[in-house]
Amino acid sequence: MSLLRKILLIEILKGLSLTLKKLLFHKPVTIQFPEKDYVIPAPGFRGRHALVRDPNTGDTLCIACMRCVKVCPSKCIYIEYEVDVNERKRKITRYDIDALRCVYCGYCEEVCPVNAIVLTEYFSYIGFTREELYFDKEALLKNWDEFISTQKRPYMNPFWKPRGYPEKLLPIKKREFKGV
Amino acid sequence: MGLSLVEVNSKQRGASSFDEPFYINMGPQHPSTHGVLRLFLELDGETIINCDPKIGYLHRGVEKLAETLNYNQTIVLSDRLDYIASCANNTAFCLAFEKLFGLQVPRRARILRTIVNEMARISSHLLWLATHALDIGAMTVFLYCFRDREWLLNIFEKICGARLTHSYVRVGGVRQDFTLEIIEDLYKFTEVFPERVLEYETLIDVNRIWLERTKNIAVVSAEEAISLGLTGPVLRGSGVPYDVRKFRPYDAYDEVEFEVPIGKNGDVYDRYRVRMEELRQSNKIIRQCLEKLSETEGEPVLPENAPDLLIPERVREPEPKPHPKKGFIFTGKEVPVVPPGEAFASIESPKGELAVYVVSDGTNKPWRLRIRTPSFVHISALPELAKGHMIADLIAIIGTLDVVLGDSDR
Repeated sequence: MSLLRKILLIEILKGLSLTLKKLLFHKPVTIQFPEKDYVIPAPGFRGRHALVRDPNTGDTLCIACMRCVKVCPSKCIYIEYEVDVNERKRKITRYDIDALRCVYCGYCEEVCPVNAIVLTEYFSYIGFTREELYFDKEALLKNWDEFISTQKRPYMNPFWKPRGYPEKLLPIKKREFKGV
Repeated sequence: MGLSLVEVNSKQRGASSFDEPFYINMGPQHPSTHGVLRLFLELDGETIINCDPKIGYLHRGVEKLAETLNYNQTIVLSDRLDYIASCANNTAFCLAFEKLFGLQVPRRARILRTIVNEMARISSHLLWLATHALDIGAMTVFLYCFRDREWLLNIFEKICGARLTHSYVRVGGVRQDFTLEIIEDLYKFTEVFPERVLEYETLIDVNRIWLERTKNIAVVSAEEAISLGLTGPVLRGSGVPYDVRKFRPYDAYDEVEFEVPIGKNGDVYDRYRVRMEELRQSNKIIRQCLEKLSETEGEPVLPENAPDLLIPERVREPEPKPHPKKGFIFTGKEVPVVPPGEAFASIESPKGELAVYVVSDGTNKPWRLRIRTPSFVHISALPELAKGHMIADLIAIIGTLDVVLGDSDR
């Protein structure tokens, strides 16, 4: 029996028939990226950074609470702010993200109490110099404009209000947030 | 082995003209060493007399770095240990921290963790099978494995927004719940996957080239495997039914039914059989967990006393009443953020037993974090296994140990 199997190459023929079946009767699993099939990432994909532009004021929503700076494991966010004495509010003068340092953990968008920062679902971006991937405030707002023009409004990122998160632990603004 | 390349002494071995051993560096840029592993080989012809693994090319100082980050930020570091199965590392870290904090994880979070752990096991074993088969010479298995791994990575992307560095598990639970779409995807996957495993087995299970390359290579007896400190599928291939999921059940493993596959001879082929069986068992566990998910519909995935992502540097006991003149001031006594003490947790990661030991001194950062990774121990067993084999077999031995250098060098 075993001799017959050895001579007839049964197991090798079985393997060959499987690959032949795959070749003839199955669709290819490879895709032609990016010419034909463009990959659409899942909602909540942690890609390029953006600062949300407030539709009412046209400026960022950031209140300079510095929570994202403190939670960032790779220390890639730099914020400078000044205090407006009349309104008793903080206003940011500088908001920089070094995208080459970032590890894309998404902690910043989760701790932000006003949902000002977001990791957009846009992933195919490059830069020829280091400066191009060092986003300042204007660049981050521009990223948002580029991203939101491809999305349905109101846009809601899953990490702004994680599913199954106990309501008690969320800041008040996040509890009633419905999207921008 | 103290010999370096410079001081080669001629050794008299009989009267042949090749009377001194040949020294060669395999790696660190060799494609079959699965990363930056360098093996300093002492050869007699093509037979390995001695093998000296040199590691440390991927050292990033994770243990020291963890002392400068708070407990939740440390989980991001753990993604980079064994980057094939990030969720397993995250879980090990979180289990140790939860013991330290004294947290009770909600049932739904425990089930979700079990699912992602088993998904990580499947994706890790698929990558192992792909590269191991490719090293030995089976190209088709490589392509088929990556087809299924791609499917799993797409599901991971929907779950947590990243494909490799998930950081999905966090102290107290998980970061977010599954959607219905993910559950449907996983149901579809678990239905199709056993057929896919059969496909791989048709290709290589009884293939005579595969058998020639794997049978009776790197045989480890049960006693030897235990004394070398091997864990995981490598130990079970030698016939020791040790599995942390059965011995010290964590997460939801005490609720699910599964078998621990063991081998008999302890050679490369038996370890391959054990891993293939584990793929099926993991699939079974995911299936059971998905059915349990419907029982816990709508429960939160984090306990209400879970620490914030941003663990504060100091915490004061709240003052019972406000100050009469100065409005409201905090004069309460400072209390430790995290209870001081130590905690240990170990899990069955896809590669073996992954253990984390953490010491806290009351601040929001770990005072010391020690990680016991399976790959480091497995590489140390490499000289023992490789002695007396051919160089071509060494490729099979590296493959069967399933080492990831990010895991070993940390």
